[in-house]
Amino acid sequence: MATTLDFPAVLRGRQPVHRSSRKMADQASRAAIEHAGLQLEDIDLLINAGIYHERNLGEPALAAMIQQDVGINPEDPHADGHGSFSFDVANGACGVLTALQVADGFLQSGAIEHALVVASDAHPGRGMAPGFPFAASSAAVVCSWDESPTGLAGFRWEVAPEDGSPVSSRIGLDHGRNVLHVERDPDFDGRAAVWAAKVATSLLADLELGPADIDLVVANPLTPAFLEGLSAHVGIGMERLLVLEGAGQVHTAALLVGLAAAAEQGRLQEAHRVLLVSAGAGIVVGAALLTN
Amino acid sequence: MANTWLMMERSPDGGKAPHVARFESIGRRLPTTKLGSEELMASTRHHTRVDLERLTGIHERRIAAADEDSLGLATGAALDCLRRSRHGAEDLEMLVSCSITKYRGGLESWLEPPMSVAIAQQIGATKATTFDISNACAGMLTGVFVVSNRIRRGEIDCGMVVSGEYITQLSRNAAKHVRNIMSAELASLTLGDAGAAYIIERAPEGVAGISVTGFTTVSGYSRLCRAYPARHDAGARMFTKSRAIQRAAIADTPFLLQEVLDAAGLTISDIDWVIPHQTSARAIKKGMKDVCETLGGAPTNPAVITVDYYGNTASTSHGVALVKELEEGHIRAGDRVALLALASGIEIGVVLFTVDEELVSRYGNDA
Repeated sequence: MATTLDFPAVLRGRQPVHRSSRKMADQASRAAIEHAGLQLEDIDLLINAGIYHERNLGEPALAAMIQQDVGINPEDPHADGHGSFSFDVANGACGVLTALQVADGFLQSGAIEHALVVASDAHPGRGMAPGFPFAASSAAVVCSWDESPTGLAGFRWEVAPEDGSPVSSRIGLDHGRNVLHVERDPDFDGRAAVWAAKVATSLLADLELGPADIDLVVANPLTPAFLEGLSAHVGIGMERLLVLEGAGQVHTAALLVGLAAAAEQGRLQEAHRVLLVSAGAGIVVGAALLTN
Repeated sequence: MANTWLMMERSPDGGKAPHVARFESIGRRLPTTKLGSEELMASTRHHTRVDLERLTGIHERRIAAADEDSLGLATGAALDCLRRSRHGAEDLEMLVSCSITKYRGGLESWLEPPMSVAIAQQIGATKATTFDISNACAGMLTGVFVVSNRIRRGEIDCGMVVSGEYITQLSRNAAKHVRNIMSAELASLTLGDAGAAYIIERAPEGVAGISVTGFTTVSGYSRLCRAYPARHDAGARMFTKSRAIQRAAIADTPFLLQEVLDAAGLTISDIDWVIPHQTSARAIKKGMKDVCETLGGAPTNPAVITVDYYGNTASTSHGVALVKELEEGHIRAGDRVALLALASGIEIGVVLFTVDEELVSRYGNDA
């Protein structure tokens, strides 16, 4: 028995810069629920792992707005019904992996039957984030508890003891206006790949597996430098990594974007063991195993 | 699957989640500077004719010093929590930061790296898995829900939930815009700065600990309270339809609290302390009156009110109140406490737990 992931729904591509991250999240969420063959009211838990929203919203959790927009049990509590719980997690580009672990925990305990994990980032608005580096993109996936022995099989995390972070994102006054500045050290991908490989190797050791046992690696960020570094350090050839050209600027949705691409290519269905790896600001690195 | 409206976990719960979680230590960080409501209202740009103290029961709130920010308040609370605990920072297997505000170095809001990484580094929690939760004023209790889940299933033994809220800058911004009692920024004048931290651990055999946790998002009201960075001022602004939120909370809370009590096999009269989210003294009293009427009973003690001297400290409000009541010796071992979350979203949640002797002893009091 384990938490299984349905195929993720993805929104990206040739979109205007100023797309609403919330509306994209709404659309991806609806598509993911429909693909899973569920009714809206079947979603017990909604976790948003996206970070960059319109106007840099501070509260409520964007997840609550998505819940209302999509129409997942938005009404006042009443007898003979059940509600849904929504909140945001923020863990940089590792947010989706964190959200999957949180959802997995509540699925394992039996508190819920279905969770929706969504991640969406877009430019916060005109003049609010000069040089905003991330592509407007959103993805969502339904997680369910399944009696079959395949699914999420373990997580492992590390925080690398870096002095300062090679990625930082701050909102502050700049020439009399509150603006968002994202700074990304060009060395980040290489440094993060070393730490990501370490955490992936530790996870495999926990599960008494080796690199040869892994059929497919889906990792983020989807930048060539990170993927090549990860491949070299973890000892899994690039042919077993999911590479998606032009997806390097997808931020929190990247892990799900990668999973969706692997599913479209038929590689996810063929793989027996899939290694999920994420690296984000901090440097925070995480890994999980997904079995088919 | 329980047929409850709330997403709920109950302990003990057999094979899937055989362990019980408990509050091992609770810490807080309160700035020393006080700001009275009279003084705050004297600073408004417009002549508002609002008697804030009479309207909300808030006499004063704490305001952060120039060198304090969200990170400083959170770290201060985390260290206070560790000082009272038998755990060291190296024992923490998880650290979840749950603040709405993420200010470091004054009024610069950091979205990445997560606040949890910075707190873990500052307190020396080198082994902790870190991430942030954002769930408005329900953030910390959402964090308790998430950490407890992992403890109950035996994945970890010990974790910290922490928050630092530097929010009186919203009051400063609101003071420029509030014109009268109908202002959408009136609620920003009720805020106070604080940090809070909980250590949650696996309870020893026989300890009641956290018995029921339940949350829901009544998202039909998700637009009633929103906060954004201010456009041209430092910090943020918050826009609240206070009366509509209060109406929804009063309508929905009794039903949800009854679900928690049913899950625990208790009635409202079996509860010793209800600690609601601290918005205003009047709202709390009115809300509790409605709860008692609907549920046909009352807790042993009146609802805990700390908003009068600390203001609404957002996600930290329950931690701030718990430390006060424990330090003053009001809450005693064996007491049943219901923490009620009410937040923008709107999020409604309940954490029901029994206070044990160890927790009481950390505040210099006997059981």
